[in-house]
Amino acid sequence: MKSVAAIVPVKDGERYLQELLAALAREGVDEILVIDSGSRDRSLEIARAAGVDLLEIEPGEFGHGRTRNLGAERTRGELICFLTQDATPCPGWLEAYREAFALDQRVGAAYGPHLPRADTSPMIARELTEFFAGFESRPSDGDRENDAHENGASASAAHAPVLQRQGDPAFLSNVNACYARACWEEIRFRDVAYSEDQAFGTDLLAAGWLKVYQPRAAVLHAHDYGAIEFMRRYFDEYRGLRETTGHVEPFGTIAAARHVRAAVTGDRRWAAEQGLSGAELARVTARATIHHGGRRVFSALGSHAARIPRPVSSLLSLEGRSESTTPGQSTDSRSSAAAPAESPLQAPKRLPQLLPHDDYSVVTDVWRDGPTPLLEPVPGMAERERLRLAMVIPPFARGSGGHNTLFQIFSRLERRGHSCSVWLADYHNQMREVWPAVLRHDINEFFASFQGPVYRGFDQWQGADVVIATGWQTVHAALRLDQCRARAYVVNDHEPEFFATSTERVLAEDTYRHDLHCIAASPWLRDLLIDRYAASADAFQLGVEQEIYRPRPVQRRTDTVVYYARHSTARRAVPIGLLALTELHRKRPDLRIVLFGSPDVMYAAFPYESMGVLSPTQLSWLYSEATVGLCLSLTNFSLMPKEMLACGLPCVELAGVSAESIFGSDGPLELAPLDPRAIADTLAGLLDDPGRREQRSREGIEFVASHTWEHATDEVEAGLRHALRERELAASVS
Amino acid sequence: MSAADTSSEQRLQAENERLRARVAALETELVETQARTDAVVGEWQERAYWLDRWHLDLNALMRRPGASELREALRAVRAVMWRLKRLKRRLMDS
Repeated sequence: MKSVAAIVPVKDGERYLQELLAALAREGVDEILVIDSGSRDRSLEIARAAGVDLLEIEPGEFGHGRTRNLGAERTRGELICFLTQDATPCPGWLEAYREAFALDQRVGAAYGPHLPRADTSPMIARELTEFFAGFESRPSDGDRENDAHENGASASAAHAPVLQRQGDPAFLSNVNACYARACWEEIRFRDVAYSEDQAFGTDLLAAGWLKVYQPRAAVLHAHDYGAIEFMRRYFDEYRGLRETTGHVEPFGTIAAARHVRAAVTGDRRWAAEQGLSGAELARVTARATIHHGGRRVFSALGSHAARIPRPVSSLLSLEGRSESTTPGQSTDSRSSAAAPAESPLQAPKRLPQLLPHDDYSVVTDVWRDGPTPLLEPVPGMAERERLRLAMVIPPFARGSGGHNTLFQIFSRLERRGHSCSVWLADYHNQMREVWPAVLRHDINEFFASFQGPVYRGFDQWQGADVVIATGWQTVHAALRLDQCRARAYVVNDHEPEFFATSTERVLAEDTYRHDLHCIAASPWLRDLLIDRYAASADAFQLGVEQEIYRPRPVQRRTDTVVYYARHSTARRAVPIGLLALTELHRKRPDLRIVLFGSPDVMYAAFPYESMGVLSPTQLSWLYSEATVGLCLSLTNFSLMPKEMLACGLPCVELAGVSAESIFGSDGPLELAPLDPRAIADTLAGLLDDPGRREQRSREGIEFVASHTWEHATDEVEAGLRHALRERELAASVS
Repeated sequence: MSAADTSSEQRLQAENERLRARVAALETELVETQARTDAVVGEWQERAYWLDRWHLDLNALMRRPGASELREALRAVRAVMWRLKRLKRRLMDS
């Protein structure tokens, strides 16, 4: 068991000191050190009578960070507890801290709540209670389920210790905190005038340590000053926050009035719940109004203390401190010692925490802690008729081809009786304004009919037989989900190729290296995943909506080339396509060229007709009247050439990429090398040869006839069952 | 192998089969429960479309100061309207 030292800085603290020291003795603390900085009451006498170690320092030597560092140096405990002179530990306090440090070896600090004493004013009592309740854990899914059966479950979850890591609140309070000696030795308290604990919390998380909020390590504590003293204390507190974290408290008259009104309403409600009424409630209302109003004003003043004349500042400060520093002029001795005498650097701008967490924090979770372990496989699970499937999708918009593929298949899986749910992983909060019912509605409107639920994020995660990642942005989130039997990855394209050298490219490549069973949208893509990443992979063929994409009753022209010129999608090689069409136009100036797929005007060296973005039905009519289609892809084969073929339109694609894996080198598709002149020649060859066009048209319709979404769903379902079977196999081998 | 060993092995096999069948039944039950839950949540989301579209959280709205009072006032107005309608009907009938 780790030894524990408790350090209590004291100045005129006789009121609660005896009670505090008795509580520490009762809790079994191994070593107690009282540091007195010039008490003129009975504090020294109480400390001596309690038999604790006593260190006396000059009042001028005291510093919140400096003196606590001194205390830690003078003690030996592996755990170092700091308490203020008016904080009395509640029973079970030390045991709760020991439990917090046992959670993880990287726990560097833990802190507990401050409970109001019986005589604490309603404003402070409510504030303390609500403030610390904000750190408590929400009941887990399991607890939520249990709630239906057992009312106490959520209460116990709320009192469980909460691990906090970088991105979580940096809050730490030396009123009641405990530190691992190794962590304190590495970080140490900054020598700042105020908020040394907050600075330590920030530094600790940045250094990769964890901290714990332990609701059961409680102390009785309250700063119940008079109204003016409170205001002066807030002045000190917010001056300290500005100096240590750069936080500037905003102030606006209307906002302040609203805040005060809301706070006073809260206090009145609290007081009423405590049984106050009539005159007492009126007194609370008046006091709360002064308290909260004064707080808003003095906290804003504290944030701007550096601009206030020193005599005024001294008057406003409860500590009587007149000097103030801006964030760039920290009094931290560590930073000032390291800086040159006349640094050419301008004072840095310190910013508060701007995000609750980093966009890619789930990636670091995976890299640090690995994927969440899968459930033990159940024999025969791969063959079960109905499966629980959860599909994790990236943000989407109308017209997203990848999402259309996913929902064409997923809606069919749902119709086959599988239990299907959809989960949106939104790293960059692109769809934060779109609430779940709207997401679900849009999926139905943009892609395919889906009856199941759609969730934003994973707060309501319920587990699944197979969790299906569907894009590089979803894989790391899927890897962290628990209660799963297997994970699969529907890969629509080799996404690292969508990015230049970048974080996104690195993360996209990383997604293939976590043993997810891949179900790739072409044999070419499957082989690439196996060869380059040694991934386990199956393939499926994209389906075509045959009821839409079919030859329409319209005369086919002999002079029209249609080109999918979606310039915003880089892999479509639009500049190459435009060069090819320029070449073709030079040879055949009378040729009608139609561009579609983009709402933007394309700057081309030939005249053309622009159709913008078309609906599937409109596309089928365009394909039915055109002579030849052109559609290029530098990565995986897309649906568009298949849809052209389904409408009887001969189509030209790039050779040597992915098309051969589906159509073969002499299939219904005309293939041309990545060269504008070669592409132009291939197009010209088709335009010149009606017999060849007729043959390609016939072959294309025949070939695509078997490429249905039902067939694609069969292949994906087989891939999902393969993922489950691999789990069974791995379990039987191990 | 003795008859006792054979009998013991058969018992174990039978128990194994029974447990497998039980697991399969429980798994089926789980899928069915999940499917029902999904259907309920899906249907609820269908109904909540306009609330979500307009970013209306009725629970949060009704927690706001004055919301309950407004609701009570509307109920009172509604009660008066109903009484007036009843009175009008009675007068028309008589």
